[in-house]
Amino acid sequence: MTGRRWRLFAGTASAAAVFGAGIILGLPFSSRAQQPAKPAAAAAAPTDSNYVGAEVCKACHVEAFSTFSKTRMGRVFLFQARSPQEANACESCHGPGKAHVDAGGGKGKGGLITFARNDPTPVEKRNAVCLDCHAKGARLFWKGSTHESRDVACTNCHKIMEAVSPKAQLAKETMIDTCGQCHLQKKAQVLSRSSHMPLREGKMTCASCHNPHGTASPTLLKEPSVNETCYTCHAEKRGPVLWGHPPVEESCANCHEAHGSNHEKMLKLAVPRLCQRCHQVGHPSSPRGRAGTDLKLLLGRACVNCHALIHGSNHPAGARFTR
Amino acid sequence: MKLARMTGMFLAAGLVLGLAGGAAAQTRVGGMNMEGEIEAGARFFVEEPSKNEKQKFEEYRDMGQGLFLEGLKLRLFTDDERYSFEFLGSKWGRDDQEFSLRTGRTGLWRFEFDWDQMLHTFSTTARTLAHEVSRGVWQLPGLQDLRDFNSARELPPVAVRWYTARMGLTVTPTPDLDLTAQYTRIRKEGDRPYSMSFSANFSGLNFLELLEPIEQTIHDLRLGAALARENWQIQAGYKLSIFQNDLTRVRFDNPCAQFAAAAPLRCTATETAGAPPWGQSSVPPSNMAHSWNLAGGVNLPLRTRVTASLAYSLWLQNDDFLPMTVNPALIGDGRTVLPQDSLNGSMSTTNVNVAVTSRPLPLPLSLSAKYRLYNLTDNSDSMTFQARVINDRAFTTAVIRNHHLHYTRQNFDADGRYQIMRPLAATLGFGWEEWYRGPERQAHQTDEFFAKAALDATVADWLTGKLTYKPSFRRANQYNGMIGDFAWFTRQFDQADVDRQRLDLLLQFTPLDTLSITPVGSWRHDDYVKSAFGVNWETSWSAGIDIGWNPSERVSLSAGYMHEVTDRNLTSRGTQQIVNSDWLSNMLDQTDSFHLSAKLSVIPKLLDWTANAYYAISNRTIETRNPSAQVGGPALTAARRAQRFPDFTDDSLRIDAALRYHFTKSWTASLVYAFEKFSMSDWRTNSLQPFDDGTIGNTGSIYLGSNAKNYTSHIVGATLKYKFE
Repeated sequence: MTGRRWRLFAGTASAAAVFGAGIILGLPFSSRAQQPAKPAAAAAAPTDSNYVGAEVCKACHVEAFSTFSKTRMGRVFLFQARSPQEANACESCHGPGKAHVDAGGGKGKGGLITFARNDPTPVEKRNAVCLDCHAKGARLFWKGSTHESRDVACTNCHKIMEAVSPKAQLAKETMIDTCGQCHLQKKAQVLSRSSHMPLREGKMTCASCHNPHGTASPTLLKEPSVNETCYTCHAEKRGPVLWGHPPVEESCANCHEAHGSNHEKMLKLAVPRLCQRCHQVGHPSSPRGRAGTDLKLLLGRACVNCHALIHGSNHPAGARFTR
Repeated sequence: MKLARMTGMFLAAGLVLGLAGGAAAQTRVGGMNMEGEIEAGARFFVEEPSKNEKQKFEEYRDMGQGLFLEGLKLRLFTDDERYSFEFLGSKWGRDDQEFSLRTGRTGLWRFEFDWDQMLHTFSTTARTLAHEVSRGVWQLPGLQDLRDFNSARELPPVAVRWYTARMGLTVTPTPDLDLTAQYTRIRKEGDRPYSMSFSANFSGLNFLELLEPIEQTIHDLRLGAALARENWQIQAGYKLSIFQNDLTRVRFDNPCAQFAAAAPLRCTATETAGAPPWGQSSVPPSNMAHSWNLAGGVNLPLRTRVTASLAYSLWLQNDDFLPMTVNPALIGDGRTVLPQDSLNGSMSTTNVNVAVTSRPLPLPLSLSAKYRLYNLTDNSDSMTFQARVINDRAFTTAVIRNHHLHYTRQNFDADGRYQIMRPLAATLGFGWEEWYRGPERQAHQTDEFFAKAALDATVADWLTGKLTYKPSFRRANQYNGMIGDFAWFTRQFDQADVDRQRLDLLLQFTPLDTLSITPVGSWRHDDYVKSAFGVNWETSWSAGIDIGWNPSERVSLSAGYMHEVTDRNLTSRGTQQIVNSDWLSNMLDQTDSFHLSAKLSVIPKLLDWTANAYYAISNRTIETRNPSAQVGGPALTAARRAQRFPDFTDDSLRIDAALRYHFTKSWTASLVYAFEKFSMSDWRTNSLQPFDDGTIGNTGSIYLGSNAKNYTSHIVGATLKYKFE
């Protein structure tokens, strides 16, 4: 094995030694004595006799209770309920449990909303449970949105009983996998295209541009237009500038495929054909074979070899985007 | 520096572990409970891509070998969960490191801070003869060195580093009121390859690769308030976005300025006569945007809901202009005097949305209607230039005036959804979109009308399906091809008449609770019906399937495949403006993507194995021909004869596997293997070398290597994870 690799193995062993040292050092400071006091709900559950309380649910659904208690929602409902509704804990979403308990438990007993795939409760009613608390903010435009009108349930995308994802309690580990349950083609595009934004590297997510809960814009974009969405990170393109390029100013999507492309710079088509969709006078009107004089208009950056400031220029001599 | 930083991180992590202690009982610090996990280890390359091959491999990540922190999560919380403090981080010490801080009082306020670093690598093969004497100013060496391309030095990887800091505070003084404040700062530093032209005219080949310096900052401040009551909600917000560019220009020596037409530069007499000694290009100017928005929703009787929003933005830019030219021979010419010193740029956008949804009848019928208006107006100063300097070389006396982009886009759509029977719902709808554009574009008004039909079926517990069909047609009220420097007979695709068809299908089979199969398909066709020249048609379709199967509690498998095709036809008049030089080009893109994942609990709660594989292969063609070459007229010259371009191809394969051994409840050791292979063939860049001897241009342009090299890598790693709670 090369010396370099020996150094790396040595480094690994050193890291392990550091961890071990940390434990040895830390042992005197660890507390074994005191179990945390059992937290009490901030608000008392209502006295409606149809509610049995979370402890009764826990008696049978031990594992579900345990995983739920580790989620953000579980911590609020079980330990820091702010209202009688939240203090109902399990029953605030699933409904009163007395009938279910009286029937001896079991699937389909007691008329509870299970939120499972085969739950006979209409999707609208299941979603209404969530919207009871989560109606504001990002969900303002939920009603009538693309997902709502196609019977997408909140639980299609979110998993409430267990923290599967680091944020937002998604149904899958990552947002790409969650959205990709239905948007398979977009998922393939995001994960496989050679020219892409850093979604697969974890630096962006679908929610960086879209609000799946509904927006006032088309295609669920967070901002009023495609360009304003792009300008959030690419504000250098916003302008205004002295010499603009109209199709650029109208929509970035005229030339770019934001979900990924196999052409350079996430373009929809290779240059020069991309430009020749509109420009067919003068030197753009040539088909570009492989004669010597064609090469500068094909090789390297093609049209953008000269027209480098293609998104617009603020230079007095930049009317053709060369300065 | 990097090693010191990483060493410090690991020592800190070790102390954290010390505080966590031996982990049998819950850990407490200062009266708060503590839980968390830390995973760290080392990775090394069995086969590492070379420096030249790393552009694609490390396009957005730092994959250096050695020690790394996979993740750290530390959470402190009070017994009653009223207060919590959370600290997360990963990849510390790396160029793509990130960490987050979150703290709050449950239900009352929440503060978050995120720090993220990212590296966008453009090239690892760049070489140049020039030297950057000051930021954005490049000078070429003397003639002798200029002729010796082998003296071109290698540059460090050409990249832009993004540093993003985000802070957010949410206060909920009452359960129905949220107040939010968020500030994001994105700092970008580095260089990006682009080029500058010095050519006297179109036939000149004097352009050069150079680097655009990037030293930019985006400040984004957002304030918002949202109030929600049982039957109505309202929210308002303000956003300030400032883009600040620390630089104003790029200046680069003209290699043909001083030198005769001598090999190997081969500057033609045209290029050397009156050649400017250098050129100067602008960079994106600093700008600012203010945005205000107001939105609300109200529930009305008859199960009706109305939502509306109003948003207004103002974009401003007023950086001083650069001089018309930096050519000393032209500077004193009166024609270089600018009409004013800056643009006084101002653009505004207005966005109005109103949506109504209702279920007014005691029937399973939902109705919805939406109206949307978006207006963009450019109120910048108008300027007329009596003359301009082309490429810092010579005047052109064509009078030109800056244009002002104005457009208004209106949308209206309405649909009704009826639950025909329990498993089947049908939606029918129609809509309209109008664009009204200012005088600088060819079609001042276009209208697009569409219909929509959709079926949502839950045939059984194990089968659901969604089918959508949406045809539309767009017509321009009047297309004026004489506007602008465009062929009057060409129809620009974004304004042309077009008939569109869209069809989407999604099925989900779940014959077992543990098995789901999701086939999908889509088809799109745009027929540009009156575009004899321009884009004629575009068709895209995709078909794929995704399968997830959990045959037992210990095994989880998933697989997927997607095939995508995009096919386009484009016709052009040709340079001779006669029939026999017309050309027709067909562009076909095909991509196949595969993925496989497996998770296996080899020994339950003791030994796990996971594996993932992704493979994608793509082929793109541009086939061009002269359909009327035999028709009478001048013989086609080589430059006007259409040819097929060589195919563009790329494929990538990623495989990773991990074996995790949970040797105690808190400790997990992992062995990880990752394999990556990438290859790309783009004939436009394949033949270019880090230096160019004149193939691309007479001046021997140095190509900054912005093409991705093929690579293969094998990576092995080991990590140790400690979890305490």
